[in-house]
Amino acid sequence: MHHELTALAERLTALGEQPAAPCPDPVNAAMIRNWTQALGDTGTWDDVAPPAMIQVWSMPGLGVPKQGSIADEPLRLLNASGYTGVVATNCEQTYDRYVKIGERLTSTMRFGGVAGPKKTAMGEGYFVTWYQSWYDENDERVAEMLFRVLKFQPRKRSAAAPKKSGKYPMQPAIGRDTQFYWDGVNAGELRIQRCADCGTLRHPPGPMCPSCHSVNRDFIVASGRGVVHSYVVHHHPPVPGRTPPYVVAVVELAEGVRVVGNVNGCPPDDVGIGMPVRLVFERMDDELVLPQWTPADAPDPVVEEPPEPEGRPIPLTPTFVIASALATRDFTPVHHDTALARAQGSKDIFLNILTTMGLVQRHALETVPGATLAGIAVRLGVPAYAGDTLTLTGERVDEHTLTVRGAVSLGDHVTATVRFKEDA
Amino acid sequence: MTLSGRAAIAGIGATEFSKESGRSELRLAAEACLAAIRDAGLAPADVDGLVTFTADVNSEIAVQRELGIPALRFFSRVDYGGGAACGTVAHAAMAVATGQADVVVCYRAFNERSGHRFGQASPSSRADSTGLEFSWHLPYGFATPAAWVAMHARRYMHEYGATSEDFGRVAVAMRRHAATNPAAWFHGRPITLEEHQASRWIVDPLHLLDCCQESDGGVAVVVTSAERARDLPHPPAVIQAAAQGTGPDQMMMFGYYSGDLAALPAMGNVGDTLWRQSGLTAADVQTAILYDHFTPFVLVQLEELGFCGRGEARDFIKDGGIELDGHLPVNPHGGQLGEAYIHGMNGITEGVRQIRGTAANQVADVRNVLVTAGTGVPTSGLVLSTG
Repeated sequence: MHHELTALAERLTALGEQPAAPCPDPVNAAMIRNWTQALGDTGTWDDVAPPAMIQVWSMPGLGVPKQGSIADEPLRLLNASGYTGVVATNCEQTYDRYVKIGERLTSTMRFGGVAGPKKTAMGEGYFVTWYQSWYDENDERVAEMLFRVLKFQPRKRSAAAPKKSGKYPMQPAIGRDTQFYWDGVNAGELRIQRCADCGTLRHPPGPMCPSCHSVNRDFIVASGRGVVHSYVVHHHPPVPGRTPPYVVAVVELAEGVRVVGNVNGCPPDDVGIGMPVRLVFERMDDELVLPQWTPADAPDPVVEEPPEPEGRPIPLTPTFVIASALATRDFTPVHHDTALARAQGSKDIFLNILTTMGLVQRHALETVPGATLAGIAVRLGVPAYAGDTLTLTGERVDEHTLTVRGAVSLGDHVTATVRFKEDA
Repeated sequence: MTLSGRAAIAGIGATEFSKESGRSELRLAAEACLAAIRDAGLAPADVDGLVTFTADVNSEIAVQRELGIPALRFFSRVDYGGGAACGTVAHAAMAVATGQADVVVCYRAFNERSGHRFGQASPSSRADSTGLEFSWHLPYGFATPAAWVAMHARRYMHEYGATSEDFGRVAVAMRRHAATNPAAWFHGRPITLEEHQASRWIVDPLHLLDCCQESDGGVAVVVTSAERARDLPHPPAVIQAAAQGTGPDQMMMFGYYSGDLAALPAMGNVGDTLWRQSGLTAADVQTAILYDHFTPFVLVQLEELGFCGRGEARDFIKDGGIELDGHLPVNPHGGQLGEAYIHGMNGITEGVRQIRGTAANQVADVRNVLVTAGTGVPTSGLVLSTG
């Protein structure tokens, strides 16, 4: 299948730009008002259309047979080969200029390629990418969009990847002679066994002092300072619960004993023998914490407590989800028909991507009023279901760039990079 | 009293080496044992002892039943993974030398590629002594033999300036030897140092081609008294020395907590016993079969066994030093990197063939062969001699 897919991708790529579905209506004030009202966009648009609306102009509408997309053939082939799951991963729009009311647009599609097979959190899959471009009456391009989906083989339940929230698969066994160590870890201490009679320190611990044969034991609490004595970078094979590459090191503690742990908080290339490291604790699941190591000069990892979002939460009422889907001319039933969405395995109806793009635009312009958008690139995460709340927060990276994160109760629904034109 | 010269290997047998045997591990064991017994010119009814690895899934009594051996007088198992290989022969030789048994078959059989693969990571939560050892490591995703050896290799590189190319020269030598051994999986498929360097990372500093293959197969050897062996069809491979050994603070692959990571004290211990028992030195050996699950430990073994000084192995192996025409041909069969990974047992049969003069890549004028078992674990070794 791989070769067939590759050959197909090459053939489609070679086709270049192909005419796509016609834009049924000229850019018009009614659809813009409908859209701004549905999305809660309070900006003034005068005689131009919000740039994030660009795809709306070429949506076919209800009851119109959907014209084939240039990616249909590879998607069908993947379906037939067991890659039946699909999830949109990226949508990146570039705006050459804003379009004006009255303009008639046309659009084209071109194939972008396939990449895979790749191991992903969803299962093994192929990324399929295509582009849509919009042109004005003079055949000048006004916008372009990259769209990427992951077609994946749904994992069998038994082989499902351990969820971050689930139990970490590589659990230690704990025995009578090692219980004190793990109790210490839970108390935020790295304990080193000490012979209660001769004082010899020992790690890993054991029941009898090899020096004086006493079975009387206590412990000291390590200072948490050490140096890397040796280390490896694990690449292969896959280890349950782990994402390669990662570093495992033998750390020689200031107290003289050696321990094994991961060095986190820096790229593997930065790790070297003799590097000073300090102790940190990593929570692996609800019960297990592991003592870990980080470069001695690394700042403390920013932990827990997500900052109070400064953004205005958007309650995702069914009305909001449905109205925005229809205002973006997206009539796919999973965005308005609860029973059907549930029958397809979703929790509820959920926000469509065209709306997500619009909400990112809305947040960007609320954060940087008056700016002109050059593009929006989003990575899509968990679905935003009706009944949830979407909270958008932004961070200004530089004069021309804003990152926007949209979180729902399940996690990140969208992470986006918004680029502004020079006059921002 | 010493074990030296009392017993000999009189028969060797093996199945084909493959990636998927297509049959049960017990069948592989039975086939390999029967081949070894017949090679010795004996019948199953002559056998009264069986020895295998603790790790082997085929019990001695199961093998006894398949071969129709009337009764066993001696059976034992040797622990610690591939470190057991030469230990099985040591146990057999001791049994023969003390009269506990007359004919002992040592065997190892597994579907290590098509069945349970040792190179994969899997959780373990046994709270016995071994499980607790693993528990200091597995939670860190430090869960494969390649990773455990790589930790030593990194320190070895640091201390002695050895490089990945030095490790690669071992792989190139083994694949060169396998290329002319028809029994080897990599028969006809030599590699270059450039290919070694270009192979993907498994666990940095180990590339894919630093790691031996995984194999399905079975190997067995027949041990009897040296005296009886002289009356059997093949020239005996006399067990001049046989030893097991551990080092200080020994663990199962995790010798990181005290001492020198760039050394293998258990192998040093085994080497000391072998030379003392045999009255020989490294200079008396014409070819060595060194356990090569991962390339770096071939270098460290050369140092531990006295073929060169500490940190000097990279000079010892350069310019084809361990290749067929080098100063010490190592693993003329291609080792586990080239022939097959049968947990070191196929190294013992190669040692016997070198003594007999029947090896695919026969070294000239072989009188003494050194054979070692798995490294990084408690290990074992043999010196086999003509006569």
